[in-house]
Amino acid sequence: MRAMVLVTVRLPQEATLEDALRRLGLTEDDVDTAYGLVPLDPEQGLYALRVTEEAGRRVGQAGGGGPFADPPIEPYGPPG
Amino acid sequence: MRVLIQLRPSPDVVAAVAAPDLTATTADVTGELPGVALDHSYTPVALPRPHPAAGGGDPLSLNQRLNFSMAPEEASVLVRGEISDDETAARMALLPGRHNGVVAVYADPVIETSLTCGGTPPVGTWRDVERLLAVPRLQAEGYDGEGVALAICDTGVNSAHVTRALGRSFTVDARRSWTPASVSGSAGRFPVDHGTMCAFDALIAAPNASIIDVPVLLSRRQGGTVMDGLLSDAIAAFSHLRTLLDAQPAATRSLVVSNSWGSFSPLWDLAPGQPGNYSDNAAHPFNIIVGSLERAGADILFAAGNCGAECKDRRCAFPARPIVGANSHPQVLSIGGVDTNGVRVGYSSQGPGRLSDRKPDVCSYTHFAGSGAFGAGTPDSGTSAACPVAAGLVAAIRTRWPASVISPAQLRTLLHRTADDRSDVGFDYDYGYGVADTAGLLASLERRTARTALTAKV
Repeated sequence: MRAMVLVTVRLPQEATLEDALRRLGLTEDDVDTAYGLVPLDPEQGLYALRVTEEAGRRVGQAGGGGPFADPPIEPYGPPG
Repeated sequence: MRVLIQLRPSPDVVAAVAAPDLTATTADVTGELPGVALDHSYTPVALPRPHPAAGGGDPLSLNQRLNFSMAPEEASVLVRGEISDDETAARMALLPGRHNGVVAVYADPVIETSLTCGGTPPVGTWRDVERLLAVPRLQAEGYDGEGVALAICDTGVNSAHVTRALGRSFTVDARRSWTPASVSGSAGRFPVDHGTMCAFDALIAAPNASIIDVPVLLSRRQGGTVMDGLLSDAIAAFSHLRTLLDAQPAATRSLVVSNSWGSFSPLWDLAPGQPGNYSDNAAHPFNIIVGSLERAGADILFAAGNCGAECKDRRCAFPARPIVGANSHPQVLSIGGVDTNGVRVGYSSQGPGRLSDRKPDVCSYTHFAGSGAFGAGTPDSGTSAACPVAAGLVAAIRTRWPASVISPAQLRTLLHRTADDRSDVGFDYDYGYGVADTAGLLASLERRTARTALTAKV
Protein backbone atom coordinates (compact mmCIF):
# COMPACT_ATOMS: atom_id res chain seq x y z
CA MET A 1 0.00 0.00 0.00
CA ARG A 2 1.47 3.36 -1.01
CA ALA A 3 1.54 6.14 1.58
CA MET A 4 -0.31 9.20 0.40
CA VAL A 5 0.03 12.90 1.21
CA LEU A 6 -1.85 16.07 0.31
CA VAL A 7 -0.72 18.83 -2.03
CA THR A 8 -2.40 22.08 -3.00
CA VAL A 9 -2.56 23.92 -6.31
CA ARG A 10 -3.96 27.26 -7.49
CA LEU A 11 -6.23 27.01 -10.51
CA PRO A 12 -9.12 28.98 -12.04
CA GLN A 13 -12.67 28.24 -10.84
CA GLU A 14 -14.28 25.11 -12.34
CA ALA A 15 -10.84 23.54 -12.85
CA THR A 16 -10.63 19.77 -13.34
CA LEU A 17 -8.26 17.06 -12.11
CA GLU A 18 -6.69 17.03 -15.59
CA ASP A 19 -5.94 20.75 -15.24
CA ALA A 20 -4.25 20.07 -11.90
CA LEU A 21 -2.16 17.17 -13.28
CA ARG A 22 -1.02 19.37 -16.15
CA ARG A 23 -0.11 22.27 -13.85
CA LEU A 24 1.80 20.04 -11.41
CA GLY A 25 3.43 17.78 -14.01
CA LEU A 26 1.85 14.63 -12.57
CA THR A 27 0.24 11.55 -14.11
CA GLU A 28 -2.87 9.65 -13.01
CA ASP A 29 -0.59 7.03 -11.41
CA ASP A 30 0.69 9.70 -9.03
CA VAL A 31 -2.70 10.69 -7.65
CA ASP A 32 -5.76 9.27 -5.89
CA THR A 33 -8.17 9.78 -8.79
CA ALA A 34 -11.16 8.62 -6.71
CA TYR A 35 -10.46 11.48 -4.31
CA GLY A 36 -10.19 13.89 -7.19
CA LEU A 37 -9.61 17.64 -7.10
CA VAL A 38 -11.22 19.19 -4.00
CA PRO A 39 -11.83 22.96 -3.74
CA LEU A 40 -10.42 24.39 -0.49
CA ASP A 41 -11.11 28.06 -0.98
CA PRO A 42 -13.08 28.91 -4.13
CA GLU A 43 -12.43 32.67 -3.83
CA GLN A 44 -8.68 32.05 -3.78
CA GLY A 45 -8.80 29.31 -6.45
CA LEU A 46 -7.09 26.90 -4.05
CA TYR A 47 -7.55 23.12 -4.48
CA ALA A 48 -6.24 19.93 -2.82
CA LEU A 49 -5.25 16.52 -4.22
CA ARG A 50 -4.06 13.25 -2.64
CA VAL A 51 -0.83 12.08 -4.21
CA THR A 52 1.90 9.53 -3.52
CA GLU A 53 4.71 10.58 -1.17
CA GLU A 54 7.11 10.61 -4.12
CA ALA A 55 4.83 12.85 -6.18
CA GLY A 56 4.31 15.08 -3.12
CA ARG A 57 8.07 15.55 -2.81
CA ARG A 58 8.32 16.49 -6.49
CA VAL A 59 5.49 19.01 -6.14
CA GLY A 60 7.16 20.51 -3.07
CA GLN A 61 10.57 20.75 -4.77
CA ALA A 62 8.95 22.48 -7.76
CA GLY A 63 7.55 25.16 -5.43
CA GLY A 64 4.01 23.78 -5.17
CA GLY A 65 1.94 23.58 -1.99
CA GLY A 66 2.94 20.72 0.25
CA PRO A 67 3.43 17.90 0.79
CA PHE A 68 1.05 18.02 3.77
CA ALA A 69 0.33 15.23 6.28
CA ASP A 70 -2.90 13.24 5.91
CA PRO A 71 -3.19 11.81 9.44
CA PRO A 72 -5.91 9.42 10.64
CA ILE A 73 -8.82 10.97 12.52
CA GLU A 74 -10.81 9.26 15.26
CA PRO A 75 -13.97 9.92 17.25
CA TYR A 76 -13.36 11.58 20.62
CA GLY A 77 -15.27 9.18 22.73
CA PRO A 78 -16.28 7.48 24.80
CA PRO A 79 -13.08 8.21 26.73
CA GLY A 80 -11.20 5.01 27.57
CA MET B 1 -5.15 30.29 37.48
CA ARG B 2 -5.82 30.23 41.19
CA VAL B 3 -2.79 31.23 43.26
CA LEU B 4 -1.66 31.55 46.87
CA ILE B 5 0.28 34.71 47.60
CA GLN B 6 2.73 34.74 50.48
CA LEU B 7 3.14 38.19 52.04
CA ARG B 8 5.22 39.60 54.84
CA PRO B 9 3.16 42.50 56.20
CA SER B 10 4.02 44.46 59.36
CA PRO B 11 4.39 42.39 62.56
CA ASP B 12 1.16 43.74 64.07
CA VAL B 13 -0.81 42.53 61.02
CA VAL B 14 0.88 39.12 61.20
CA ALA B 15 0.00 38.97 64.89
CA ALA B 16 -3.63 39.81 64.12
CA VAL B 17 -3.81 37.07 61.49
CA ALA B 18 -2.22 34.53 63.82
CA ALA B 19 -4.36 35.42 66.86
CA PRO B 20 -7.15 32.86 67.26
CA ASP B 21 -9.52 35.41 68.81
CA LEU B 22 -9.17 37.96 65.97
CA THR B 23 -10.37 37.72 62.35
CA ALA B 24 -8.14 39.62 59.95
CA THR B 25 -9.33 39.99 56.37
CA THR B 26 -7.45 40.00 53.08
CA ALA B 27 -7.98 43.77 52.91
CA ASP B 28 -6.22 44.11 56.30
CA VAL B 29 -3.20 42.27 54.93
CA THR B 30 -2.75 43.85 51.51
CA GLY B 31 -4.13 46.41 49.14
CA GLU B 32 -4.84 45.53 45.52
CA LEU B 33 -2.09 43.63 43.73
CA PRO B 34 -1.66 44.39 40.00
CA GLY B 35 -3.26 41.72 37.82
CA VAL B 36 -4.51 39.67 40.77
CA ALA B 37 -8.19 39.24 41.58
CA LEU B 38 -7.93 38.79 45.36
CA ASP B 39 -10.39 36.36 46.93
CA HIS B 40 -11.80 38.38 49.82
CA SER B 41 -13.88 35.41 51.01
CA TYR B 42 -10.66 33.63 51.99
CA THR B 43 -9.48 34.22 55.55
CA PRO B 44 -5.72 34.93 55.57
CA VAL B 45 -3.58 32.23 57.13
CA ALA B 46 -0.38 32.80 59.12
CA LEU B 47 2.54 30.71 57.94
CA PRO B 48 5.45 29.95 60.30
CA ARG B 49 9.08 30.40 59.28
CA PRO B 50 11.24 27.24 59.40
CA HIS B 51 14.64 27.33 61.18
CA PRO B 52 17.27 24.58 61.48
CA ALA B 53 16.76 22.91 64.84
CA ALA B 54 20.50 22.52 65.32
CA GLY B 55 22.82 25.52 65.60
CA GLY B 56 24.87 26.00 62.42
CA GLY B 57 22.30 24.21 60.22
CA ASP B 58 21.77 25.21 56.57
CA PRO B 59 19.14 28.02 56.71
CA LEU B 60 17.89 27.15 53.19
CA SER B 61 17.58 23.38 53.54
CA LEU B 62 14.28 21.69 54.39
CA ASN B 63 15.99 18.28 54.54
CA GLN B 64 16.93 18.49 58.20
CA ARG B 65 15.20 18.71 61.57
CA LEU B 66 13.33 22.03 61.68
CA ASN B 67 11.69 24.30 64.22
CA PHE B 68 8.89 26.66 63.16
CA SER B 69 8.50 30.21 64.42
CA MET B 70 5.18 32.04 64.56
CA ALA B 71 6.82 35.19 65.95
CA PRO B 72 5.19 38.17 64.20
CA GLU B 73 8.58 39.40 62.99
CA GLU B 74 9.28 36.06 61.32
CA ALA B 75 5.96 34.52 60.22
CA SER B 76 4.31 35.40 56.93
CA VAL B 77 0.70 35.43 55.69
CA LEU B 78 -1.04 33.61 52.83
CA VAL B 79 -3.91 35.14 50.86
CA ARG B 80 -5.72 33.67 47.84
CA GLY B 81 -6.39 35.13 44.41
CA GLU B 82 -6.56 34.46 40.73
CA ILE B 83 -4.33 35.51 37.82
CA SER B 84 -5.43 35.40 34.18
CA ASP B 85 -4.17 32.25 32.46
CA ASP B 86 -2.63 34.42 29.74
CA GLU B 87 -0.24 36.05 32.19
CA THR B 88 0.34 33.48 34.88
CA ALA B 89 4.05 32.87 34.37
CA ALA B 90 5.02 36.54 34.02
CA ARG B 91 2.99 37.76 36.96
CA MET B 92 4.03 34.92 39.24
CA ALA B 93 7.64 35.76 38.48
CA LEU B 94 7.36 39.56 38.67
CA LEU B 95 5.05 40.12 41.62
CA PRO B 96 7.57 39.24 44.36
CA GLY B 97 10.12 41.72 43.02
CA ARG B 98 7.75 44.53 42.12
CA HIS B 99 5.30 44.69 44.97
CA ASN B 100 6.25 45.42 48.57
CA GLY B 101 5.42 42.64 50.93
CA VAL B 102 4.96 39.86 48.36
CA VAL B 103 7.38 37.06 49.18
CA ALA B 104 6.25 34.42 46.67
CA VAL B 105 3.33 33.29 44.52
CA TYR B 106 2.33 29.62 44.36
CA ALA B 107 -0.16 27.61 42.30
CA ASP B 108 -3.35 26.67 44.16
CA PRO B 109 -4.49 23.57 42.28
CA VAL B 110 -8.10 22.41 42.45
CA ILE B 111 -8.52 19.45 44.77
CA GLU B 112 -11.26 17.15 43.55
CA THR B 113 -12.37 14.06 45.38
CA SER B 114 -14.62 12.61 42.71
CA LEU B 115 -13.99 14.14 39.32
CA THR B 116 -16.06 12.60 36.53
CA CYS B 117 -13.82 10.31 34.45
CA GLY B 118 -14.19 7.72 31.70
CA GLY B 119 -15.52 4.92 33.88
CA THR B 120 -17.83 7.06 36.03
CA PRO B 121 -21.56 6.22 35.78
CA PRO B 122 -23.83 8.81 34.11
CA VAL B 123 -24.23 12.11 35.97
CA GLY B 124 -27.87 13.02 35.35
CA THR B 125 -29.89 12.41 32.20
CA TRP B 126 -30.53 14.19 28.93
CA ARG B 127 -33.66 15.62 30.51
CA ASP B 128 -31.37 17.45 32.95
CA VAL B 129 -29.41 18.76 29.96
CA GLU B 130 -32.69 19.88 28.39
CA ARG B 131 -33.51 21.78 31.60
CA LEU B 132 -30.01 23.27 31.91
CA LEU B 133 -30.19 24.49 28.31
CA ALA B 134 -33.61 26.03 29.02
CA VAL B 135 -35.08 24.18 26.04
CA PRO B 136 -38.75 24.88 26.95
CA ARG B 137 -37.95 28.61 26.91
CA LEU B 138 -36.01 28.28 23.65
CA GLN B 139 -38.98 26.56 22.02
CA ALA B 140 -41.49 29.03 23.42
CA GLU B 141 -39.49 31.84 21.83
CA GLY B 142 -39.19 30.10 18.47
CA TYR B 143 -35.63 28.84 18.84
CA ASP B 144 -36.11 25.21 17.81
CA GLY B 145 -33.73 24.77 14.86
CA GLU B 146 -36.49 24.94 12.23
CA GLY B 147 -34.91 25.59 8.83
CA VAL B 148 -31.37 25.21 10.15
CA ALA B 149 -28.99 22.64 8.63
CA LEU B 150 -26.99 20.83 11.32
CA ALA B 151 -24.19 18.65 9.95
CA ILE B 152 -22.98 15.73 12.06
CA CYS B 153 -19.52 14.83 10.73
CA ASP B 154 -18.94 11.48 12.38
CA THR B 155 -19.62 7.74 11.96
CA GLY B 156 -23.11 8.14 10.47
CA VAL B 157 -26.53 8.44 12.05
CA ASN B 158 -29.09 5.73 12.79
CA SER B 159 -32.32 7.69 12.71
CA ALA B 160 -34.51 4.81 13.95
CA HIS B 161 -32.43 4.57 17.14
CA VAL B 162 -32.43 8.34 17.68
CA THR B 163 -36.21 8.47 17.18
CA ARG B 164 -36.73 5.71 19.75
CA ALA B 165 -34.39 7.32 22.27
CA LEU B 166 -35.86 10.80 21.86
CA GLY B 167 -39.45 9.58 21.73
CA ARG B 168 -40.15 11.76 18.71
CA SER B 169 -39.27 11.93 15.04
CA PHE B 170 -36.79 14.29 13.45
CA THR B 171 -35.51 15.10 9.97
CA VAL B 172 -32.47 13.64 8.27
CA ASP B 173 -31.93 15.62 5.10
CA ALA B 174 -30.80 12.76 2.85
CA ARG B 175 -30.60 14.96 -0.23
CA ARG B 176 -28.01 17.26 1.33
CA SER B 177 -26.16 14.54 3.26
CA TRP B 178 -22.85 13.26 1.93
CA THR B 179 -21.16 9.87 2.03
CA PRO B 180 -17.49 9.30 1.12
CA ALA B 181 -17.06 7.23 -2.04
CA SER B 182 -15.53 4.31 -0.14
CA VAL B 183 -18.50 4.04 2.25
CA SER B 184 -21.64 2.04 1.55
CA GLY B 185 -24.89 2.91 3.25
CA SER B 186 -27.29 5.80 3.12
CA ALA B 187 -28.00 8.82 5.27
CA GLY B 188 -29.76 8.03 8.54
CA ARG B 189 -29.29 4.28 8.15
CA PHE B 190 -25.82 3.64 9.48
CA PRO B 191 -25.10 1.25 12.37
CA VAL B 192 -25.72 2.67 15.85
CA ASP B 193 -22.44 4.17 16.99
CA HIS B 194 -20.72 7.40 17.93
CA GLY B 195 -22.43 9.48 15.22
CA THR B 196 -25.87 8.36 16.43
CA MET B 197 -24.99 9.63 19.91
CA CYS B 198 -23.88 12.97 18.42
CA ALA B 199 -27.13 13.41 16.45
CA PHE B 200 -29.22 12.64 19.54
CA ASP B 201 -27.27 15.14 21.64
CA ALA B 202 -27.54 17.88 19.00
CA LEU B 203 -31.31 17.44 18.82
CA ILE B 204 -31.79 18.13 22.54
CA ALA B 205 -31.72 21.90 21.99
CA ALA B 206 -32.63 21.97 18.28
CA PRO B 207 -35.37 19.34 17.79
CA ASN B 208 -36.48 20.74 14.43
CA ALA B 209 -33.06 21.17 12.85
CA SER B 210 -32.39 19.24 9.64
CA ILE B 211 -29.63 16.73 10.28
CA ILE B 212 -27.05 16.51 7.50
CA ASP B 213 -25.45 13.08 7.88
CA VAL B 214 -21.73 13.12 7.00
CA PRO B 215 -20.16 9.76 7.98
CA VAL B 216 -16.62 10.93 7.35
CA LEU B 217 -15.09 8.66 10.00
CA LEU B 218 -16.28 5.52 8.18
CA SER B 219 -14.07 6.18 5.18
CA ARG B 220 -11.32 3.67 4.44
CA ARG B 221 -8.90 5.21 2.00
CA GLN B 222 -5.62 3.87 0.82
CA GLY B 223 -3.09 4.83 3.47
CA GLY B 224 -5.56 4.74 6.30
CA THR B 225 -5.94 2.07 8.97
CA VAL B 226 -8.92 -0.19 9.59
CA MET B 227 -9.93 2.04 12.48
CA ASP B 228 -9.98 5.54 11.14
CA GLY B 229 -10.92 7.95 8.46
CA LEU B 230 -8.30 10.30 7.14
CA LEU B 231 -8.08 14.04 7.30
CA SER B 232 -8.37 14.16 3.51
CA ASP B 233 -11.90 12.72 3.90
CA ALA B 234 -12.76 15.61 6.19
CA ILE B 235 -11.45 18.02 3.54
CA ALA B 236 -13.78 16.45 0.98
CA ALA B 237 -16.68 16.59 3.45
CA PHE B 238 -16.10 20.26 4.21
CA SER B 239 -15.89 21.01 0.48
CA HIS B 240 -19.35 19.43 0.13
CA LEU B 241 -20.66 21.52 3.03
CA ARG B 242 -19.29 24.66 1.36
CA THR B 243 -21.34 23.76 -1.75
CA LEU B 244 -24.46 23.40 0.42
CA LEU B 245 -23.87 26.72 2.08
CA ASP B 246 -23.29 28.55 -1.19
CA ALA B 247 -26.59 27.13 -2.49
CA GLN B 248 -28.57 28.73 0.36
CA PRO B 249 -30.05 32.22 -0.07
CA ALA B 250 -27.60 34.67 1.49
CA ALA B 251 -30.28 36.32 3.65
CA THR B 252 -31.25 33.12 5.48
CA ARG B 253 -27.96 31.26 5.37
CA SER B 254 -27.27 28.97 8.31
CA LEU B 255 -25.19 25.83 8.65
CA VAL B 256 -23.91 24.42 11.92
CA VAL B 257 -21.16 21.80 11.70
CA SER B 258 -20.49 19.50 14.67
CA ASN B 259 -17.15 17.64 14.79
CA SER B 260 -16.52 15.26 17.69
CA TRP B 261 -13.25 13.90 16.38
CA GLY B 262 -9.62 14.75 16.00
CA SER B 263 -6.08 13.50 15.82
CA PHE B 264 -4.83 11.72 18.95
CA SER B 265 -1.20 11.18 18.07
CA PRO B 266 1.68 13.10 16.48
CA LEU B 267 3.05 9.82 15.09
CA TRP B 268 1.08 10.05 11.84
CA ASP B 269 1.80 13.74 11.43
CA LEU B 270 4.90 15.64 10.38
CA ALA B 271 6.73 17.35 13.22
CA PRO B 272 5.60 20.85 14.28
CA GLY B 273 7.67 23.39 12.40
CA GLN B 274 7.77 21.32 9.20
CA PRO B 275 5.75 22.95 6.42
CA GLY B 276 3.53 19.86 5.93
CA ASN B 277 2.58 19.51 9.60
CA TYR B 278 -1.13 19.52 10.58
CA SER B 279 -1.29 19.91 14.37
CA ASP B 280 0.41 23.33 14.60
CA ASN B 281 0.07 24.64 11.05
CA ALA B 282 -2.67 27.08 10.03
CA ALA B 283 -1.59 26.61 6.40
CA HIS B 284 -2.49 22.89 6.30
CA PRO B 285 -5.23 22.31 3.68
CA PHE B 286 -7.77 21.20 6.29
CA ASN B 287 -7.18 24.30 8.40
CA ILE B 288 -7.51 26.39 5.23
CA ILE B 289 -10.89 24.87 4.32
CA VAL B 290 -12.13 25.30 7.89
CA GLY B 291 -11.41 29.02 7.64
CA SER B 292 -12.98 29.20 4.19
CA LEU B 293 -16.20 27.47 5.32
CA GLU B 294 -16.48 29.73 8.37
CA ARG B 295 -15.95 32.83 6.25
CA ALA B 296 -18.80 31.68 4.01
CA GLY B 297 -21.15 31.65 7.03
CA ALA B 298 -20.89 28.28 8.79
CA ASP B 299 -20.72 27.87 12.56
CA ILE B 300 -18.10 25.19 13.09
CA LEU B 301 -17.73 23.39 16.41
CA PHE B 302 -15.02 20.94 17.39
CA ALA B 303 -14.73 18.84 20.53
CA ALA B 304 -11.73 20.00 22.58
CA GLY B 305 -10.74 16.35 23.09
CA ASN B 306 -10.48 13.84 25.92
CA CYS B 307 -6.91 14.46 26.98
CA GLY B 308 -7.55 16.37 30.22
CA ALA B 309 -4.74 16.10 32.75
CA GLU B 310 -6.77 14.33 35.46
CA CYS B 311 -7.98 11.28 33.48
CA LYS B 312 -6.97 11.38 29.85
CA ASP B 313 -8.01 8.85 27.22
CA ARG B 314 -5.29 6.20 26.82
CA ARG B 315 -4.99 7.09 23.11
CA CYS B 316 -3.73 10.61 23.92
CA ALA B 317 -0.15 10.79 22.68
CA PHE B 318 0.58 14.51 22.45
CA PRO B 319 2.91 15.18 25.38
CA ALA B 320 1.44 18.66 25.95
CA ARG B 321 -1.13 21.10 24.50
CA PRO B 322 -3.49 18.34 23.32
CA ILE B 323 -5.99 20.66 21.57
CA VAL B 324 -4.43 20.42 18.13
CA GLY B 325 -5.12 21.31 14.51
CA ALA B 326 -8.64 22.42 13.60
CA ASN B 327 -9.84 21.62 17.13
CA SER B 328 -7.83 24.71 18.12
CA HIS B 329 -8.61 26.79 15.01
CA PRO B 330 -9.31 30.46 15.80
CA GLN B 331 -12.46 30.41 13.66
CA VAL B 332 -14.15 27.45 15.35
CA LEU B 333 -15.76 26.95 18.73
CA SER B 334 -13.69 24.45 20.67
CA ILE B 335 -15.97 22.78 23.20
CA GLY B 336 -14.90 21.41 26.57
CA GLY B 337 -17.07 19.20 28.76
CA VAL B 338 -18.82 19.67 32.11
CA ASP B 339 -21.15 17.25 33.86
CA THR B 340 -24.71 18.20 34.72
CA ASN B 341 -23.42 19.65 38.02
CA GLY B 342 -21.47 22.18 35.98
CA VAL B 343 -18.10 20.68 36.98
CA ARG B 344 -15.46 20.07 34.32
CA VAL B 345 -15.06 16.37 33.55
CA GLY B 346 -11.52 15.19 34.22
CA TYR B 347 -10.91 14.07 30.64
CA SER B 348 -11.85 17.39 28.99
CA SER B 349 -8.73 18.71 27.25
CA GLN B 350 -7.20 21.89 28.61
CA GLY B 351 -5.68 24.77 26.70
CA PRO B 352 -3.77 26.52 25.42
CA GLY B 353 -4.60 25.37 21.90
CA ARG B 354 -1.92 24.92 19.25
CA LEU B 355 -3.36 27.13 16.47
CA SER B 356 -4.76 29.69 18.89
CA ASP B 357 -4.05 30.05 22.59
CA ARG B 358 -7.52 30.71 23.99
CA LYS B 359 -8.95 27.21 23.83
CA PRO B 360 -11.31 25.69 24.76
CA ASP B 361 -13.76 28.47 23.92
CA VAL B 362 -16.64 27.33 26.13
CA CYS B 363 -17.91 24.17 27.80
CA SER B 364 -21.17 22.30 27.46
CA TYR B 365 -22.77 19.23 29.04
CA THR B 366 -21.56 15.65 28.75
CA HIS B 367 -21.49 12.34 30.63
CA PHE B 368 -25.27 12.01 31.01
CA ALA B 369 -27.67 9.15 30.33
CA GLY B 370 -28.87 9.97 26.84
CA SER B 371 -28.93 8.18 23.52
CA GLY B 372 -28.01 4.73 24.81
CA ALA B 373 -25.91 4.36 21.66
CA PHE B 374 -23.28 2.42 23.61
CA GLY B 375 -25.80 0.38 25.60
CA ALA B 376 -28.23 1.01 28.41
CA GLY B 377 -26.56 2.63 31.40
CA THR B 378 -23.57 3.84 29.40
CA PRO B 379 -23.46 7.63 29.31
CA ASP B 380 -23.19 9.91 26.31
CA SER B 381 -19.68 10.97 27.20
CA GLY B 382 -16.50 12.64 26.12
CA THR B 383 -16.22 16.11 24.72
CA SER B 384 -17.78 14.13 21.85
CA ALA B 385 -21.15 14.63 23.55
CA ALA B 386 -20.49 18.19 24.76
CA CYS B 387 -19.76 19.36 21.19
CA PRO B 388 -23.12 18.39 19.62
CA VAL B 389 -24.98 19.59 22.73
CA ALA B 390 -23.40 23.02 22.11
CA ALA B 391 -24.00 22.68 18.35
CA GLY B 392 -27.71 22.16 19.08
CA LEU B 393 -27.78 25.37 21.10
CA VAL B 394 -26.08 27.25 18.25
CA ALA B 395 -28.55 25.76 15.75
CA ALA B 396 -31.44 26.84 17.96
CA ILE B 397 -30.13 30.41 18.00
CA ARG B 398 -29.71 30.33 14.22
CA THR B 399 -33.47 29.70 13.85
CA ARG B 400 -34.03 33.43 14.31
CA TRP B 401 -30.56 34.85 13.72
CA PRO B 402 -29.06 33.76 10.37
CA ALA B 403 -25.39 34.29 9.54
CA SER B 404 -26.30 37.33 7.44
CA VAL B 405 -27.43 39.11 10.62
CA ILE B 406 -24.96 37.70 13.17
CA SER B 407 -21.79 36.36 11.58
CA PRO B 408 -20.16 33.19 12.96
CA ALA B 409 -17.43 35.37 14.51
CA GLN B 410 -20.02 37.58 16.20
CA LEU B 411 -21.89 34.55 17.51
CA ARG B 412 -18.66 33.13 18.96
CA THR B 413 -18.02 36.42 20.73
CA LEU B 414 -21.60 36.40 22.02
CA LEU B 415 -21.12 32.87 23.39
CA HIS B 416 -17.87 33.94 25.06
CA ARG B 417 -19.38 37.05 26.62
CA THR B 418 -22.51 35.36 27.93
CA ALA B 419 -20.93 32.13 29.18
CA ASP B 420 -21.32 31.26 32.84
CA ASP B 421 -17.77 32.04 34.01
CA ARG B 422 -16.34 29.26 36.18
CA SER B 423 -13.38 31.30 37.39
CA ASP B 424 -13.16 34.86 38.68
CA VAL B 425 -11.09 36.32 35.87
CA GLY B 426 -12.94 35.45 32.68
CA PHE B 427 -11.08 33.07 30.40
CA ASP B 428 -9.16 30.09 31.79
CA TYR B 429 -7.69 26.98 30.18
CA ASP B 430 -10.03 24.52 31.95
CA TYR B 431 -13.44 26.02 31.13
CA GLY B 432 -12.56 28.60 28.48
CA TYR B 433 -14.94 31.52 28.94
CA GLY B 434 -17.29 29.30 30.95
CA VAL B 435 -20.34 27.11 30.36
CA ALA B 436 -22.45 28.16 27.35
CA ASP B 437 -25.50 29.78 28.89
CA THR B 438 -28.88 29.96 27.19
CA ALA B 439 -30.35 32.64 29.50
CA GLY B 440 -27.35 34.92 28.94
CA LEU B 441 -27.50 34.39 25.19
CA LEU B 442 -31.22 35.15 24.97
CA ALA B 443 -30.88 38.24 27.17
CA SER B 444 -28.12 39.56 24.93
CA LEU B 445 -30.16 38.87 21.78
CA GLU B 446 -33.18 40.64 23.32
CA ARG B 447 -31.03 43.71 23.98
CA ARG B 448 -29.82 43.57 20.40
CA THR B 449 -33.41 43.38 19.12
CA ALA B 450 -34.37 46.38 21.28
CA ARG B 451 -31.38 48.40 20.01
CA THR B 452 -32.23 47.55 16.40
CA ALA B 453 -35.87 48.60 16.93
CA LEU B 454 -34.76 51.87 18.53
CA THR B 455 -32.37 52.62 15.67
CA ALA B 456 -35.13 51.91 13.14
CA LYS B 457 -37.45 54.38 14.91
CA VAL B 458 -34.80 57.10 14.93
